[in-house]
Amino acid sequence: MRILIVEDDPLLGEGIQMGLRQAGWQADWVADGLAARHALASEPFAALVLDLGLPRLSGLEVLKGLRGGGNALPVLILTARDSPEDVVAGLDAGADDYVIKPFNLDELAARLRALVRRTGGRAAAEIVHGKLRLDPAGRQVKLAGQAVELSAREFDLLHELLNHAGRVLTKAQIEERLYAWGDELESNAIEVHIHHLRRKLYPELIRTVRGVGYLIPEDGK
Amino acid sequence: MKGYSLRWRILLGVLVAVTLTWLAVALFAYREARHESEELLDAHLAQSATLLFAFLGDEAHELDEHLPRHHYDKKVAFQIWEGQNRLLTRSAGSPETRLSAESEGFSNVKVEGKNWRVFSTWDPAHRYLVQVADAAHSRDEVSGEFAWHLLMPLAFGLPALGFALGWFVVVAFRPLARLADSIAAQTPGRLQPIALSAAPREIVPILQRLNRLFEQVSRTQENERRFTADAAHELRTPLAVMQTHAEVANAASDEDTRRRALANLVAGSRRAARLLDQLLTLARLDAQYELPGKEFCDLRALVVDTVAQLVPAAIEKGIELEVDEGAAVTVRGAPLLLQVLVRNLVDNAIRYTPSGGDVRIRLRADNEGACLQISDSGPGIPEAARAEAMERFRRIDESGEEGHGLGLSIVARIAELHGAQVKLDSTTPTSGLSVSLTLPAMHPRPAEQQGAN
Repeated sequence: MRILIVEDDPLLGEGIQMGLRQAGWQADWVADGLAARHALASEPFAALVLDLGLPRLSGLEVLKGLRGGGNALPVLILTARDSPEDVVAGLDAGADDYVIKPFNLDELAARLRALVRRTGGRAAAEIVHGKLRLDPAGRQVKLAGQAVELSAREFDLLHELLNHAGRVLTKAQIEERLYAWGDELESNAIEVHIHHLRRKLYPELIRTVRGVGYLIPEDGK
Repeated sequence: MKGYSLRWRILLGVLVAVTLTWLAVALFAYREARHESEELLDAHLAQSATLLFAFLGDEAHELDEHLPRHHYDKKVAFQIWEGQNRLLTRSAGSPETRLSAESEGFSNVKVEGKNWRVFSTWDPAHRYLVQVADAAHSRDEVSGEFAWHLLMPLAFGLPALGFALGWFVVVAFRPLARLADSIAAQTPGRLQPIALSAAPREIVPILQRLNRLFEQVSRTQENERRFTADAAHELRTPLAVMQTHAEVANAASDEDTRRRALANLVAGSRRAARLLDQLLTLARLDAQYELPGKEFCDLRALVVDTVAQLVPAAIEKGIELEVDEGAAVTVRGAPLLLQVLVRNLVDNAIRYTPSGGDVRIRLRADNEGACLQISDSGPGIPEAARAEAMERFRRIDESGEEGHGLGLSIVARIAELHGAQVKLDSTTPTSGLSVSLTLPAMHPRPAEQQGAN
């Protein structure tokens, strides 16, 4: 899952990026409002971590622009502004969550998982698909009660496909969602990961739509 | 000192003044009345004597039987003498001895222990001597009565007046009580000016001062509130940096990540320390209304020393530091604070100037005072933003260079304490920032002043 972090403080931006990567997210980081607006317009992100006091374009303006354009991307405001007025203004501008600095990284990661889960229309933390169970927090996958060892990329790929169950994801969409800027990407990487997933789980789980991409059918179909 | 009551003061004052005036008036009236009544009674005595002569004549001996008897007899008396020695007749209340030795006019005598006012007169033939007398105590009784009538109203009137006055004073002082209520209703966080329109004229000056004080306190509180809010905001970021990197280091599976996170953690805590340092400096400066330990100091030596401490930072960043210190110049001030000021300005210049740039420090003295100018080849501050650059927590640059927007506030405060002027300008041709500090002149030594020109 790819997350965009907008934070103007270099040390803190780097820290959040490192922390969210440890929690299994693909985290990209920009330091001002305009860069955030450009990144949001060109890349698919699963969620946005937004500071309010930003150079060039304030966090609230970024958020209003996003919502004004009809984008329902989960947004978590991460700021040092703790007054009730600021919290109300942030949530009313369209934020889904509001976290005040300093914060706990594990909590931040859990809040982001909850936000992404809700956008997928699920209330439960685990994704259940037939005999398959995927736990985003623990980054564990079980098949018929048996734990299956997956690499980080394989897990993320499975997570994306399950999150969009019933819909086809193109190879390009998968790449954008799985790889942050600067990540190295081999030409047939996605095919290799799909192959591993089919082998480690079961072949019928992921279907190939020739010339388009891949899909996991909705549960029970 | 124990407090006193204005009400009681007014009440007592009025009552004492009224009583004294009343008594003085009564005394005067009493004396006048006594004098008048004496004259009247004396006239009566004289007339009675004349009347007695009318009864006299050849039947002087039979007079006794015709005389009226009345219980007032004890208060009046008369004697009729034939010649000097033969008492013809006398009233019942009269003593048997001669009333007065005087044989003409008024006299006061004491006969048989009793005081009399006597009028003596001879008949025209100088044969009979008539003496008519009033008992002196009866005269005193008359004046006594009179005095009593004068004082009686005071005895009753004074308590009545006291009550009425007391009530008036209480009513008149009600605005004071209301004022006390409205002051008591003020809360330190929300001081409202007290309305002057309803207040008595006597306390309006007090209220005006009070309102001015309220306003000052409110302004100070507002400043402090904003400062605290900003400080809290600024302190949270380095704390977040430290916590985040500590957690990252804790969870890191590879050595590189851990090392990087720990380095950032140290950088974050160094930044928090610097912020705290600046906050404390400002807090201490704010608490001062005048300089502690003002002394003559050599500004040139101070600038050179302070800049020398910053040379390593400049070298590390590849910045050329150039000092043109001019002649020695003496200023009066607090050397420690002036060091903080110079360090802040030079440190700022190094911080915001890109690598390879240069920072120039120039010190000059003229008749108006000492002028310290620090120019850099950094991005400068747009003219529109210069005024607010001195405000606390105001960061103008967007370079990402760490800072809290307190450095220039500290400079401004120290300059203010020294009565110095700080001016922001742009340098030519690099359009970097140029800060000039003008300290008031302090008797530069003539020889060295010449050298400077």
